[in-house]
Amino acid sequence: MPAGDYAATRYSPLDQIDVANAPRLHPVWSFSTGVLGGHEGQPLVVGDTMYVVTPWPNVLYAFDLGRPGYPLKWKYRPNVSRAAIGAACCDVVNRGAVYADGKIIYNLLDGHTVAVDAATGHPVWETKIASVADGETVTMAPLVIGDRVIVGASGGEFGIYGWIKGLDLATGRVVWTGHNLGPDAGMLIKAGEFHPPYVSGTELGVRSWANGTWKHGGGPVWGWISYDPKRDLLYYGTGNAGPYDAEQRGGDNRWTSSVLARRPEDGTLVWAYQFTPHDSWDYDATGAMVLADLTIGGKPVPALVHFDKNGFAYTLDRSTGRVLVAKPFTHETWAKSIDLATGRPVENPAMQTGDTKGNVKGICPSLEGGVSPASPPAYSPQTHLFYTSTNNFCMDYKVHQIAYIKGTPYMGVSSPYTPGPGGNLGAFIAWDAATGRVVWKDKEPYPSWSGALVTAGDVAFYGTLDGWFKAVDARTGKLLYRFKVGSGVVGAPIAFRGPDGRQYVAIYAGIGGDWALLAGDTSSDDPTDLRAPNPLVKNLASRTSQGGMVWIFGL
Amino acid sequence: MRPQRTLSWRSSAARWAVPALLGLVVAGSRGATPTHAPVIAAPGVANPAHIAAGGRPPPGPVVQNPYRGEPAIAHAGATLFVSMHCSDCHADAAAGAVGPNLGDGRWRYGASDAAVFRSIYYGRPRGMPAFGGLLGAQGVWVLVTYLRSLPPPPDLPTERFTQH
Repeated sequence: MPAGDYAATRYSPLDQIDVANAPRLHPVWSFSTGVLGGHEGQPLVVGDTMYVVTPWPNVLYAFDLGRPGYPLKWKYRPNVSRAAIGAACCDVVNRGAVYADGKIIYNLLDGHTVAVDAATGHPVWETKIASVADGETVTMAPLVIGDRVIVGASGGEFGIYGWIKGLDLATGRVVWTGHNLGPDAGMLIKAGEFHPPYVSGTELGVRSWANGTWKHGGGPVWGWISYDPKRDLLYYGTGNAGPYDAEQRGGDNRWTSSVLARRPEDGTLVWAYQFTPHDSWDYDATGAMVLADLTIGGKPVPALVHFDKNGFAYTLDRSTGRVLVAKPFTHETWAKSIDLATGRPVENPAMQTGDTKGNVKGICPSLEGGVSPASPPAYSPQTHLFYTSTNNFCMDYKVHQIAYIKGTPYMGVSSPYTPGPGGNLGAFIAWDAATGRVVWKDKEPYPSWSGALVTAGDVAFYGTLDGWFKAVDARTGKLLYRFKVGSGVVGAPIAFRGPDGRQYVAIYAGIGGDWALLAGDTSSDDPTDLRAPNPLVKNLASRTSQGGMVWIFGL
Repeated sequence: MRPQRTLSWRSSAARWAVPALLGLVVAGSRGATPTHAPVIAAPGVANPAHIAAGGRPPPGPVVQNPYRGEPAIAHAGATLFVSMHCSDCHADAAAGAVGPNLGDGRWRYGASDAAVFRSIYYGRPRGMPAFGGLLGAQGVWVLVTYLRSLPPPPDLPTERFTQH
């Protein structure tokens, strides 16, 4: 599955590569995907086959790891609509595939989920789940739980009515659709079964939106799903509310920028917690929800840990949704703290935004997030630490009232970025979620946009925007190995045991994911589209360009 | 970065405010330039560089921008560029984000005013929506006039890097 396990830990029990021998890592194989664009997500290894999904046009490659040079067994080239490119807010990324029941299942940008026979590459079923005409595109990584394929749609910048769906694994049929906002019935809230920890009442998803604005309120699902078999709950985060002018949608805007817990079989909503009520900064909560059993204050806790775009890392009780720990993991200015009694942020009044507020300066983190939700963290049960990319830059935020025009962006913002304090725009950190503190920090000159991997060899892996793949000591952060993989890294590393019994680590190189940030001058494939350098990420284009590579490293 | 707006648009009756704004723009332009009649016909050849084999362009209507080079119209177009959500894809001042840079003096579908008109009026296959139905021909020409008024940055085509 996309994150290695249902708990989304991105922890590998493989230990052949360890702190002592990691300096001897070297590339053993690479392959060009033939596609430019942000290569987010991760390869998927099942048995002796490695599966790779590209950005639009969402080609699926199956590599034979049992033969020298890892030749392709097959490739699957779906007919994905070009029109979807313009409905993708930021880039035409894909966050990966899942394997179940002999099928590789993944999403196409133009609103389809496909199941492909894992052995032959022949399509088994294809289901239309989303409407590009309504601003819905699909970039997220699906998860299979029992007979259900869990999928969601992007479109928080296009005024969608956000949802998550459960498909039938055998046929692809849509079994249930649960909205993330709006009326209780549409949210699959059933009498007596919905227990949000800090609020009560009915129709919260309507009453927390002035003038029926939930209808185009956003709340997309573009990240990751996790699942707790013992509690039979799936967890996922919802994206920002729209439009960006928060004064147009008075109220808390539930349940955007939230974590929701549902029953996989029928989608019943069990609890929800909102990280950023009345989101006024584009703080999506679509980052991964990592499930870990922690010891907090001497007591064992079934925890859910989430690094939010808003700069706080939250440790929740995953049975109830109550917040146990919430501390900033990067520089932030929008809130003083999170009140554990109410679950609400104690907000800085000077950082409130809206059409009447003018240009509000010095908001940290920026709308790109203290971490991008596209950069999932990892958790090691050996070190009891979480590992994540982080960003350290801020924004000025000027919004204006905006009309809804179907199929066009529903945003209305100008938000130039400025560096955060300390001289680094990013960092890779180790985080203690029981106490809410940074244990070590490896500063990066550019925003850190890759996912994390940690292994039983106590080695953590990540990549950088300027194209370095790095292995570091999971206990100290000391750099053990690095290699220039060409294009910037926005994907997530994985570890696997090859058919030869040896441990390998794979990573994508392919900068992209957000053209508002990642310097359009790293693109050179269109002579009619020349971009100026982005002053925030100075000289990034002197160190990397767009690309699309799969790399495998070994000892 | 965003051009200063001279028309302020403050309506919550959003759907109907778009034609209202257009009316304002067009009425204003008529006041300033009464001699121009709006041209509604579809443009002819989009990309003259591609017709070499045939030797001459196929017959078609000649379409000309009625507002070409008029600063007041270009200014109004800057407002329209924001209120019609163009800037949400193409960035402030059309510098490029998920949609291409429209201020670099280079044009994917042809450099004539008519080709730019066609892109906005009918849309383009990589996700550019068709705005002709919403804006009408006059509104599209206002946007074309704005885009053609943007001065290309002086450092094209060479980008030099200074390491520090």
